[in-house]
Formats: sequence, C-alpha cells, structure tokens
Amino acid sequence: MKALVERALAFHTLSISDLVATFEDARPSAVARRREALAELDRQSMTRGRIVGITGTPGSGKSTLIGRIGVELHQQHGLSVAVVAVDPSSLVSGGALLGDRVRVRFPVDRPELYFRSQASETELGGLGPDTFQVCRALHHVFDIVIVETVGIGQSEVDVRWLCDRMYLVLQPLGGDEVQMLKAGIMEVPDVIVVNKCDEEVAARRLVVSLGSSLPLSRPFGAGPPPVMLTSALSGVGIEALCTDLVSQIKRGELVHKEAHFFSRWVKSEWGRIGLAVLDDELGGAERFVAAAGGFDEAQGTFGAAVRRVL
Amino acid sequence: MKPDAPWIFRTYAGHSSPRASNRLYRANLERGQTGLSIAFDLPTQCGYDSDHPIARPEIGKVGVPINSIDDMHLLFEEIPVEKMNTSMTINATSMWLLALYIGVARERGVPATSLTGTTQNDIVKEYLARGTYIFPPDASFRLIAEMYEHCLDHVPEWNASNVCSYHLQEAGATPTEELAFALSTAIGVLDTLKARGRVPAAEFGRLVGRISFFVNAGIRFVEEMCKMRAFTELWDELTRERYGVTDAKQRRFRYGVQVNSLGLTEQQPENNAWRILLETLGVTLSRNARARALQLPAWNEALSLPRPWDQQWSLRLQQILAFETDLLEYPDLFDGSPVVVAKVSSLKEEAKAEIQRILDMGGVKAAIESGYMKGRLVKSMTERISRINTGEQVVVGLNKFTDGLPSPLLSGADGGVFRTDDSSIEETLARLEETRQKRDPARVAAALDRLRAAARGTDSMMEPSIECALARVTTGEWAGTLREVFGEFRPATGIDGQRLGLETDRVTELRTRIGALTKQMGRRPRLLVGKPGLDGHSNGAEVIAISARHVGFDVIYSGIRLTAADIVQSAVAEGADVIGASILSGSHLELAAQIQDGLDKAGAKGRIHLVMGGIIPAADFEPLKKLGVRRIFTPADFGLVEVMAQIVELLEGSRRNEGQE
Repeated sequence: MKALVERALAFHTLSISDLVATFEDARPSAVARRREALAELDRQSMTRGRIVGITGTPGSGKSTLIGRIGVELHQQHGLSVAVVAVDPSSLVSGGALLGDRVRVRFPVDRPELYFRSQASETELGGLGPDTFQVCRALHHVFDIVIVETVGIGQSEVDVRWLCDRMYLVLQPLGGDEVQMLKAGIMEVPDVIVVNKCDEEVAARRLVVSLGSSLPLSRPFGAGPPPVMLTSALSGVGIEALCTDLVSQIKRGELVHKEAHFFSRWVKSEWGRIGLAVLDDELGGAERFVAAAGGFDEAQGTFGAAVRRVL
Repeated sequence: MKPDAPWIFRTYAGHSSPRASNRLYRANLERGQTGLSIAFDLPTQCGYDSDHPIARPEIGKVGVPINSIDDMHLLFEEIPVEKMNTSMTINATSMWLLALYIGVARERGVPATSLTGTTQNDIVKEYLARGTYIFPPDASFRLIAEMYEHCLDHVPEWNASNVCSYHLQEAGATPTEELAFALSTAIGVLDTLKARGRVPAAEFGRLVGRISFFVNAGIRFVEEMCKMRAFTELWDELTRERYGVTDAKQRRFRYGVQVNSLGLTEQQPENNAWRILLETLGVTLSRNARARALQLPAWNEALSLPRPWDQQWSLRLQQILAFETDLLEYPDLFDGSPVVVAKVSSLKEEAKAEIQRILDMGGVKAAIESGYMKGRLVKSMTERISRINTGEQVVVGLNKFTDGLPSPLLSGADGGVFRTDDSSIEETLARLEETRQKRDPARVAAALDRLRAAARGTDSMMEPSIECALARVTTGEWAGTLREVFGEFRPATGIDGQRLGLETDRVTELRTRIGALTKQMGRRPRLLVGKPGLDGHSNGAEVIAISARHVGFDVIYSGIRLTAADIVQSAVAEGADVIGASILSGSHLELAAQIQDGLDKAGAKGRIHLVMGGIIPAADFEPLKKLGVRRIFTPADFGLVEVMAQIVELLEGSRRNEGQE
C-alpha cells in the first residue's frame, strides 16, 4: 500500500486508478485496505484538495465545460485536477452507460488531469454510493476534485454536502430555470453559470429572468448567487470561472462531512429504522463515527451496535 | 416516347496512393465506367496530413491520401478533368478538395466553368452516421454555403453538396426517417443560403436546382421504389412552396445512389450479389424516380474492401440492366397504380410530420445539437438488430437457411479479400515532404493568413482556399487553420436512454453471472467501448455499448476518433476490465499493436483485456491473437447476447486464473 500511494501521489495513472478501486470496493475485506490507504495518504501527502460540484441538466454543455476548466486550471494555475462524473444506472440490469468521457478529453500526456466515471447504482441522489469515498482518496492527490452530476431535483442536495463550492450550469433556451425553481435546486448553488453564451440574445434573456426570480427562490437570508457567462465552445468566460474557483473556495473539512455521508449510508443500508437507532440511541452520526475511529470503522461496527440496541 | 438515357455508371474507388488510384480509375474508364467516384482516405477526410500520428495507421486504407495539389495532379494524371463527371466523397474538408480540383484545372489551363461533378459535403449525416466531421454546425454550414455561392458564379455545373440519406439508412434509418432527415438537411442548407442573402433573388431558383441527393436503396425494393417517388414529389412541393421556384426543371429531384451495404452478410457472401441486384431495381424501375448515377457495392463488402474484380462484377450488373434488358424503353411503369399511389402518399404524410417536428425544434442544426436525430437513428438501429436477433426479420444465410456449401468465391489465393499496397505509404510520405521542401514558404504563410482572416471575418473562404491550393499548402495546414478559428465539434452520441428489445433467458442468465462477478470483484465489471482511428461509422460500437449495459456491465463509451493512446489512457484511468475496440477501416492490426504497446507502457498489460470487432478478414485472426487480442467479432457475430456471453466468459476465465483473493 505504501508503494501504491507513493506512485499515485506521483500521478501514476494506473496506481491512482487502483487506489480509487479500493475506495469503490464493496467487499468487506476492502475496509481494512481503505483504512491503510487513508493512513498512508495522511502520512505521505500534504495535499488537501478542494471539492467542487458542477451540476446541470443534460445538454447544458457541462461536460465540455469541465473539460476546458480542467485544462485551464492545469495550464494557467498549475493545479492538478480530478473529475468524478456520475451517471445513472439501469434499474433493470444494474449496468450503466458512462458517456461523459466523450466530451471531456484531457491531453494524454498530462497525468495531473484525471477523469473517472462512476455509476449512481440504485442511489437516487446525484451521487453514487462510492462518490464520497472516492473523493476522500482523490483530494489527497489532486488540488481540485470536480464532482459532475446529472439531473436536477432535491436529491442533488447531497452534492451540496460533499462540495466546498457548487456551480449550477444552465443553458439559454433550456427552460431549465423554471424546472429548477420548482425543484428547489436554486437553493443549492454558490454560482450559476450560463453556458453557451454565444447564443447572445437567449443568454441575456436568461440572465434577466434569473435576476428577477432568484432572490425569491433562495433560503431566507441568503443573497442571490452570482451569475457567470461562459461558452465551452469558444472559451469565453472560462478564465473568469477558473479564477472564481481558485480564489473563492474555502476548503471544508471532510471530517465534518463524514457524519452526513455516514447517515446517508445508514439510511441506504439499514433504512429508516437504522437511521432512527443512529440518531436516538447511538448519539447521532458525528458521535458514532468519532467513537468508532473513522468512517470505515463506523460502517464495520454499526451492524453490531444496531443488533445490541434492538 | 424516346428511350431513357442510361444513368451514369460509377464505382466508388480509391486506395493506397494517388498513383495506384489513378491506374485504377483509368482501367475502370476503359471498362466502360462513365464517371469517377473518388474515395479519400480517412486522414484526408478528417483534415490531417499523412504524417500526423493519428493518420499513420489509416494512410490509403479506405481511399486515396491527398496531402496537397501535387497529389491531386497525380490522381488525375492523363484524365481530362474537363470531360469527367467527378464525384468526391468528401465532407468536412470539401472546400479544400474542391479548391485542389479547381487548382489542378487552373494549372492545366482548363477553365473552372468546364468542371462537372459533386462534392458530397453533407455535414449533417457526418454528425449522425459517418463521423468525419470537424467543425461545429454553424461553421460547417457556412463552409457549405460559401461553396454554393462560389460555384453558382464560377463552377456552374458543380454540385457543391449532395444531401445524403445513404448513410442514414446505413445507420438504421427507416424510409420515413430517411425522407424526413434528408429533406430537413436540404432545408437547412437552403435556409442558410437564403438568410445570408448573398445570392440574388433572381438566381435562387438556379441555386435550388444545384441541390442534389445521394440516396440508399435497401432490400425491401418495392417500398424503396415508393420512397424514391415520395422523394421526387416532396422535393417538387417543397421547392415550390417554401422557396417559390417556378421553373419545373429546377425543382427536379436529382439523385445518385449507392445501394445498401448494411444488409450484406458475411455468411454465404455470394448471396449478396442477388441482394445488390434487387436493391438496384428499387432505384431504376420507376422512370419518374430513376437514379441519375449509380454505384454498387461489391458482394464481399462485409469481408473486406472490394478487389478490382469485385467492382467490375458489380459494374457489369449495371451494364446488363441498362443495355441488355428493355427497362429503358418504357415510360413510367407505375403511374396510376393504386398500390404505389397509396404507399407513396402514406410515406409522404409521415415524412411531412417528421419534417415539421424538426422545424418546430428550430431546424436541423438544433436537432443535431440536442441529439434528437441521432437518438432516433440509434433507436431504429437497435430495434433492427433486435429483430434480426429474435428472427422476426429474416436474413437468409444469417438467421435462416444457414446451412450452405462452402463458397468457391472465397477459395482464391487472396481468400477473396483485398489488401492495400502498404509499400506506397513511404512514397506518399516522401512526396508530402518534397512538397513542403520545394514550395515558397512566404506564399504559404500569406495564403494561410488570408484564409484565417476570412474565417474570422465574413469574407468567403473559397478564393483563399484556392490560393492555398496553388501555394501548395497541405491538407493538415488548411484544416488546422480552420480548427484554430472554429474549434472542433463533438456531437451527441445518441446512446443515452436507449434500450435493447431482448429479454431472453440467456440475458437473465448473463445478468446473474455478471452479478456473481460483481460480488467477487467488489464492483461491477467495466467495459470500455471506443473506436480507435479515424473511422467514424459508430453504429456497431453504439449497439455493443447498449447491449453491454443491457446485460449489466458498467460501460464507458468513449466515442470515435481516438488514438490508441486515448483508449489506453481512458481504460487505465477508468479501471476498465475489457477494452472493446471497433474498427471498420482495415487498420485493425496496426491499432491492436499500438493499444497493446500502450497498455504495456502503462503497466496494465494482461490486466486489461482487448477484444475487437469490425470488418476483419479471417486471415488476420491469427496475427491479432498473437498481438494479445482475446476475442474477435465480425459481422457474422450478429448475436448481441452471444457477443456479451463471450466477454463475460473471458472475465470469468481470468478470475479463475487469478484464483480467489
């Protein structure tokens, strides 16, 4: 594990990929390996990258945009960037089509730019069951970890928990803003990005409509988020977006996020009863994770704890 | 009534090098061919010089490489361009190839007004089906429009573009989709030209008269004949009503045909000769909707590229039909037939509704960008293959009457397949280098500057392109300059949300087995599907990707036009278990070697399995296996579930070899 982490930190792609696989591994035996990997990462790496969420409807051009942001952050700011792109799985076969790679093409000789697709499996949120785990590993290796999610809806709020800053990508004429107002997602983003701004008239119309409707859709006390204009095609606005991304992000502590993702895990594995036991009998997620000595450990001991209570 | 004149006989040809292709053209013309149909290699179609890394495996494979005007001169050596009707299958780089052709004429002292022919130049079907696009829709439509504007004044007998429904049918389009998508494309071109306002209103009819079509003809030849009549009538109505063209001659639906290759089988390939004959009837029987130019595939196209003899055999079919039979002596055979009238009118109604749907979306450009049209085609193709898989659609020799005697046609020394002459590659590269050495660098730089300035502004790029041709600019330099200005486009893949109509016990069994693998491996097995090289015929890869998800793989679809290095990078970064590479251009040996080499360098050789699919001759199986390709699929493996079963088996085998962790 020591050697694997060493190679991963030197941006050896196969080793990064193997490291990620350890954090996606559903076998019980993987828990110990993850613990080992995290300990090694803590020891060997000073990096604690920022986690950025980018969400938006299909067709908003967010994949192409992410491709350009990645290259810009690397070339102009000297940063290393990982992208985790989440796509939905088929409910029938369990398989998934992970197609975002088509539009995000990083240069092949730049291992500091890494792209990984993930299936959402049966999770309804914008995230897959392993996204949190994988981000935990990747933020020790890369300066910026971009989480790309599809779709809109309240479940997307999970991304909010994982990410230090959230960008919502809209396209002119998409009619997206209406749906999003309804779905409540306007409460989520820190920044709204109007992509495809080369369609000038439509883009301006969208900006105006956002200006009038946004203040109404925000949680009480929160100001309207800034609106930025970009074109993934011509490159307009990419620089400004990257500057925002680099300068505005205050890194959240992933430790605090463990509690949220532990609750989420409990809910998906043990259902509402499990969640009730966690909150009412075991002192809540934050305490339970701390007492167990970590996220993976907490997953390991939760079963026994539930059985004791019940 | 006078007998009808025979259509133009063509053979789609070109391979290896300009010199070899020139020999082939001259031989074909001697055998009674009356027009040329030029096949360019993929680097030329995608705007790369032969010495670009992505071009190397593809030089001369599916057509002739053209790097500069020097190659173009060689290609037409001793062929009088002023007497030739030349059709070029070229799209994203159409303006460039037309500029080279005009350049050749100019250097020979032949006036451009005497040139006749067609540049295919239909970018819509490239986005949808064929894959040799470069620029985004707006820039691509501008290039097309500027060619029309130029030709109208300077090369009046030239068809600046050819609306192609051919490739739509190859990609699975139903007759209605073929009608509607092709006519929507024509509307897109004409609307663009009208909005630009550079063609005087009085000339617009003449412009409409220059629009020609390139159509497919499938095996359901009665329906196909009706489709052609529907095309003719719809075009007449459309040009009259939408564009106010009063001259009936300018409203005539002029079209060339290449009959269907999609339905040709690898099994019992001799049967394809009959299929080609029947498909030919669909586009020749009805005089009022008869093709003006015809090119036929060869019986062995599902096996490899055709040999000169195979092409000659197909040409003879045309000649027998035109000169031995009495077909051309009669007026239209179907006028007044109630069956035909009813069928034509139902096709027209469906097509009109679909055209309206596309117009309501904002026209063909919007329907490309949103992925609507691509999604429709992928759906139709997936349904078609599902029907063949279930036996609902009969294909003789493939899913019915499969027992047959071995074909003597395959027993020749060459195994009935064609090989390009790779020794000519060095010659092509040397000539490219020679051109670069001998030209005037200042003139080259000035010509490219002028092209760039025109592209950035609103001036036509046509004259600057001709100047580039004369200055001996190379194909890669011309396209590279425009890439800088316009950027490169990636259209929608159309595979999202598609389903396979196969729910058999075998599918359930495979899902269970993949479930077991998922348990053992701690995650779902991952299959990376992509097309290395420049060949963009992606429907095979798309259907495989959809099938793989259907049985429970996590599928990473990485699209078309990838280098071996792209594929390796994706597979390694994604932790793929299997790479499925689809190749139809004949460059499978080179690409397999490059992929394995890349995996080796990344430290992943043996961990990531490589399987391949495409037009791969049996003689290449052994060399591919030696390169470590674990499974090879050809058009004979039409059973999607069986293909998946083999990949699952491969993974199960390698799990067993690793032993239990």
